[in-house]
Amino acid sequence: MITQQPAERRALIGEYVLGLLDEAEAAEVHELIEHDAEAAQMALQWQQHFLELSDQLPPQTPSAQLWQRLQDSLGLTPAVSRVNSWLAWWQSLTTWRLTSAALAFALIIAVLPDLWRTDTAANSYTVVLQAPGEAAKPGWVVHVDGSGSLRLQPLLEDQIPTDRSVQFWTLIDPAIGPRSLGLVEPGKPLQLSAEQIGAVQPGQLFELTLEPAGGSPKDRPTGKVLYIGRAVMASIN
Amino acid sequence: MAQPLFDYESHLEACAQQDERAFQALYQQEAAQMLGLAITLLGRRDQAEDCMHDAFVQIWRNAQRFQRALGSGRAWIYSILRYRALNQLRSRGRTVELDDDFIERAADDSPQAAELLEQQGEHRELRRCLQNIERNRRHPILLAFYRGLTHEQIANRLTTPLGTIKGRIRAGLRALQECLHA
Repeated sequence: MITQQPAERRALIGEYVLGLLDEAEAAEVHELIEHDAEAAQMALQWQQHFLELSDQLPPQTPSAQLWQRLQDSLGLTPAVSRVNSWLAWWQSLTTWRLTSAALAFALIIAVLPDLWRTDTAANSYTVVLQAPGEAAKPGWVVHVDGSGSLRLQPLLEDQIPTDRSVQFWTLIDPAIGPRSLGLVEPGKPLQLSAEQIGAVQPGQLFELTLEPAGGSPKDRPTGKVLYIGRAVMASIN
Repeated sequence: MAQPLFDYESHLEACAQQDERAFQALYQQEAAQMLGLAITLLGRRDQAEDCMHDAFVQIWRNAQRFQRALGSGRAWIYSILRYRALNQLRSRGRTVELDDDFIERAADDSPQAAELLEQQGEHRELRRCLQNIERNRRHPILLAFYRGLTHEQIANRLTTPLGTIKGRIRAGLRALQECLHA
């Protein structure tokens, strides 16, 4: 039974906030805080005072993966600010007249270190997908890690007509023709497992095309190529 | 470190309206300081990051339950983090076996420490009050705060009878609240 005496009650709530109470006592106080505004206020007041103690601790920068995980868990729009800052950054570079895809690639790996996971046990690949004929306009980056799984990451958000879809393709053998890797939401990353994409070869072609809503009615691209690029090995064994 | 200019309450209210930018701003503002506490409580960075993940998922999903009439937004965020961290500690059933020396420094009541606190200005109410209570009451409170220990675990760690520890902590908290609300 929780005491009615205010000072004792406040001290008990302090013990709850600290985590001192055993399971049964804690459950009782938890219940009280849920239903009694005054008790909830007391709990937050203790928490507020104790912030002085947490602020004594040195801050620790979280890994980049933590934010990524949160976005995945909550289904948030990926890295809005990063995409926008990228766009601004690229636009500021137009005076460079950057024409070399290799240079663009080098810049991207320098600025997006979180695409580079630590798993370099097997070959990993990067593909910079650029608008055809415009080497300085990358729109997406593909990263295939050592385990063979693929991540398609947007660098900008395209405006697509509502009656159109963007489709992701790869071409391994021109004799066989392109293979669809599924539809892509503009501005949203796509993750594919090694089973879904198969083994990636150096120089393998990837592209994004504009197709009728729901995807190409045929086994090959039917619309305009939006972005295209080839796989470059990103690690050496 | 809390920034006086950052409006935690408005950011939480924006999160309640599904404003992803506000959520990201909140994360950027507070994640590093929160992780510092989570690592201290849990002793391991990987587990601390798991705890942070769960805490931020709850912050986003429960933001509409935050009411500024009940208290500060920053305190609300830390109550979620602390609750997650304590659950994680309890479910793994053991405590962090780490050096607790820094706790002594946090509780330092030397004249030099008092002077340092004076220089640091405002955010020192709790620590000033902590200095005014006896060490044998203060130390178990700090062990609970930084290590998430229960009454029983503190009694074991300090080889002091459980009843004595409970009494000292209760007396310590009563003294603190008198000092804080004086």
